[in-house]
Amino acid sequence: MEKNYNVCTGCGMLCDDIEVESEKNIVNKVYTACRVGVAHMKEGRESAVFRVDDKPVDEATAISEAVAILKNAKNPLIFGLGTSTNETQKLAIELARKTSATLDDTSSFCLGRVVEALLQNRFKACTLDDVRNKADVTIFWGADPSDSHPRHLSKYSYFPRGTEKQRGWEEDRTAIAIDVRKSHTAKICGNNFFQVPPGGDAEFIDALIAGLSGKLPKTSYNFPPKRILELANILKGAKFGVVFVGLGLVYSLENLEPLFRLMDALNEKANFHLIPMVGHYNMRGFNENLFEETGYVNSVKFEDGAVKHGPEYSIVEALKAKTVDAALIIGSDPLSSLPRSIAKNLLEIPVISMDPCETLTSRSSKVYINTAISGVESGGSATRMDGVKVEFKPVVETKRLSDEAVLKKIMEAL
Amino acid sequence: MDFGSFLKSPEIKVKVVTYRDIFQDKAMIENRFGEDYRDRSAIIKLDSADFKQLNVKKGDTVTLKNSFGTIVVKAEESGYEPSHKGIAYMPNSPWSNMLVSDETGGTGVPKFKDISATITSAKGAKVTEPGF
Ligand code: SF4
Repeated sequence: MEKNYNVCTGCGMLCDDIEVESEKNIVNKVYTACRVGVAHMKEGRESAVFRVDDKPVDEATAISEAVAILKNAKNPLIFGLGTSTNETQKLAIELARKTSATLDDTSSFCLGRVVEALLQNRFKACTLDDVRNKADVTIFWGADPSDSHPRHLSKYSYFPRGTEKQRGWEEDRTAIAIDVRKSHTAKICGNNFFQVPPGGDAEFIDALIAGLSGKLPKTSYNFPPKRILELANILKGAKFGVVFVGLGLVYSLENLEPLFRLMDALNEKANFHLIPMVGHYNMRGFNENLFEETGYVNSVKFEDGAVKHGPEYSIVEALKAKTVDAALIIGSDPLSSLPRSIAKNLLEIPVISMDPCETLTSRSSKVYINTAISGVESGGSATRMDGVKVEFKPVVETKRLSDEAVLKKIMEAL
Repeated sequence: MDFGSFLKSPEIKVKVVTYRDIFQDKAMIENRFGEDYRDRSAIIKLDSADFKQLNVKKGDTVTLKNSFGTIVVKAEESGYEPSHKGIAYMPNSPWSNMLVSDETGGTGVPKFKDISATITSAKGAKVTEPGF
């Protein structure tokens, strides 16, 4: 019997084994998904909302107001897209070109650097399916998938019986957590949890590299050398190792050099891959799509057919320097997710917010277009955290427009 | 005994480490403006020694303050071992973001996980509304 599986777009795992029961376009029951996935699949609800200046308007008014804002702007910011399909992202890149916009996504202040290095082949990559089938040593570094990617350990990285790992976690796999805090994932790792002080990761990396080549591992915070040597020994024995890089590690490093050093050292002694713990379901897709178009993963500015790139075109620096004079925010809530000291500058420019749910940003925007939930009410394709392409159809129908449809209307009207 | 505990409202300095929490994430998806999300976000988990020094009870509000912002959130003991005096944990949210520095050194990356603040008891005060 053929079963009808859905894809969950609740996080970068894009689990493709979800079954749902729905009635009258409302999802009632969700099977197989995690707590976050169930909430996400059931998010759909009311009819479309369009607002301009806090007043309800019709679709045409909202779109034409959005178009007017973009037309009047000299340097609009287009931001978000981590929860949009590849198709929507490509349209947004086209729109950015057309409007000479600054284009960025959340990756500029989270995992973008790591994805960029992966796309430049600076790390050895593998898929989550490889992890499931082959991985014997996994390191969660500054990452807590038990909270951020709830099915990570059960579906891929620790518990499953993979084709070459029939004895699962009991015998065949070793999971290691390196973190500033004993997270839920760290608890699962038991004695293989290494607690480093905040900001202590780079030093720990160098100590570990020393340990890997049999030298005495030293840290200024006196991490017991014996434990680092034990860790080095486990890593040296890995036949298929994976480092899952989380925000905790990225925020602790000033640049990626220590991580390059570590991966090189690990690959001298053993076989190690890297997967970034991408949160939003299609942040990696955005990075790849933009990379294909421009050679950069984020923080770009289009101008007279050319493209400029640099941190000054990231949302954070653009808002700080007040270089952008309008913003189109797609499926993102910078007023919540950025430091308030920076995000508040958004209040000084006209903002168009396209989002399936009300957020601090939607409530403060000049134009709000309530879009369909990507992956639940509209379909398309996306790129999983490990780079695998996943396609999905809408689970239920809705009257609300997809962000792709809204962008098309804006493009036509421009 | 610490001198601080003799003062009327002791003030302690902490480094705030942010983290993600699946229950909070789920609450956010359901309603970013709901009580559940606020209750799971506007909290700070303290080392038991710090908690005692502040002279508060679980669920009492405390004020966190630095040069970037001031927030009132609920305090609780972390229950984490070993002791982490001077380090406090907070789920990543609009509340924690009110304390994040705007200094980025031009990199585009704020120091989300490097927050220093002082804490004092705010008994009776309400949790900060995150609106603009
Ligand atoms: S782990 Fe992520 S993709 Fe999988 S069900 Fe949970 S939220 Fe959805």
